Amino acid sequence: MKHKLSYYFIPQEKNNYRAQILKSGFLMLLVGFYIINQSVIKFIGAVKPGVLGYSSEITAQKVLNSTNIERQNSGLPPLKYSSVLSESATKKANDMFANNYWAHTSPSGTSPWDFFKAVDYHYSIAGENLARDFYDTESLMNGWMNSPTHKANIINTKYQEIGIGVVNGTLGGIKTTLVVQHFGTPISGSNTSKPKETKPKTAVNPEIKPEVVSNLAPDNKVASPTNSKILSEQKTDYINPLTINKIVGAIIFGLIIIVLFVDGYFTLKNGVNRLTGSNISHIGFLLIILLFMLYQRQGTIF
Amino acid sequence: MIIIPKEIKQKPVEYMVLASIFLLGLLIYFFADISPHSQRLVVYFMAASYFFWSINHHYRRGDLSVSIIVEYLVMALFGIALLTASLF
Repeated sequence: MKHKLSYYFIPQEKNNYRAQILKSGFLMLLVGFYIINQSVIKFIGAVKPGVLGYSSEITAQKVLNSTNIERQNSGLPPLKYSSVLSESATKKANDMFANNYWAHTSPSGTSPWDFFKAVDYHYSIAGENLARDFYDTESLMNGWMNSPTHKANIINTKYQEIGIGVVNGTLGGIKTTLVVQHFGTPISGSNTSKPKETKPKTAVNPEIKPEVVSNLAPDNKVASPTNSKILSEQKTDYINPLTINKIVGAIIFGLIIIVLFVDGYFTLKNGVNRLTGSNISHIGFLLIILLFMLYQRQGTIF
Repeated sequence: MIIIPKEIKQKPVEYMVLASIFLLGLLIYFFADISPHSQRLVVYFMAASYFFWSINHHYRRGDLSVSIIVEYLVMALFGIALLTASLF
C-alpha cells in the first residue's frame, strides 16, 4: 500500500522520476472524474427534484429599491411600482416553472409581451430582465448591471413603471428562485381591463419595438415542475450544487498543487535532472484557477 | 528570509512576465465590471497565455519537446475544464 501511494505521489525510478498523478493521462482521468461529478449532480436533480437548490434572501421590495438606486446613480427618476406589471412578471416566473424552461420566449412560443397582454397592460415600450439562482439582491443587481443589455433596461430613460416577480420553485430538478423584472411605459389612460386577445401580436405601437434582453443559453432539461410560491422567507433545507462543485474542485486542485510541491521537493533533494514542465508555473496557474473557482458566485441572468 | 527557487533565479524576466499575466487576469476577473461571459473569456485568455508562455520558456531553455507541450496543454485544459464545467 505504501509503495503504491509513493508511486503516485513521489518521483522515483518506477514512475520515471515524475509523480504518476502529474502525468497527462492521470490529469485527464481527474477531468473525467469531475465531469462525472457534474453528471451525478444533474442526475440527482432529475430523479429527486428539490434535494439540490440555491437558497435566496431576495424580495421584490429589495429588487425595487436597488433598481431605483441604480437609476438615481445615473441621474434618472425612479420607476413607479406597478402591481399590474408585477402580476405579469409573476405569471412569467410561474410559467417558466410550470413549463420547465429558462428563456424569454417559452418553447411553445409565448413571448414576454404575451404576459403584458394577459394582464391588459398596454404599453408604448416594454422590457424584461430575468435572473435565477442568486442568493442576495446585491449579487443579482451586480449581475444585471455588469451586463450591458440588462443594464440598458434598468437605466432606460423611456421606462416609467416596473413590476417584479420573485418566485420559488423547481427548475431542471433544482430548487431555485426566479426573479423577473417587467418594465413598461403605459399608453396614457389605457391600462384598464379590456377583453383578452386570443392571438399574440407585436407591440401596440409598431414603431417602438419592445426591448428583449437575452444572454445565456436556456437550460431545457426535462424535470417535473413543482408548485411555485411567492417568496417571502426562505428555508435552506437543500444542498447547494455550487458548494458541491467548489468542494470537489478545491480537493482536486489542492491535491495536484500539493503533489507538485512534493514532486519539486524530492526532485531537488535527489538532484534529479528530467525533461518536464516547470512545477512553479503549474502551481501558479492552478492557484489562480482555484481562486476563480472559490470566489465564483452563484446566479445566472437572461 | 524569502527562498527563491533556482529556476526563477535563472530566468527572472520570464517568470515576471508569467506573474504579470496572472496578476492581470486576477485584476480583470475580480475588479473590472465585466459580465460572466467576459469572465469566462478571461479564463480562456489566461490559459492560452500560460500555454504560449510555456512554449517560449522551454524553447529559450532549449528543452522544448512534444511531451512538454502536451504537459502544458493538458494542464491548461485541466484548469479550464474544471472551472467551466462547474457553473459557466
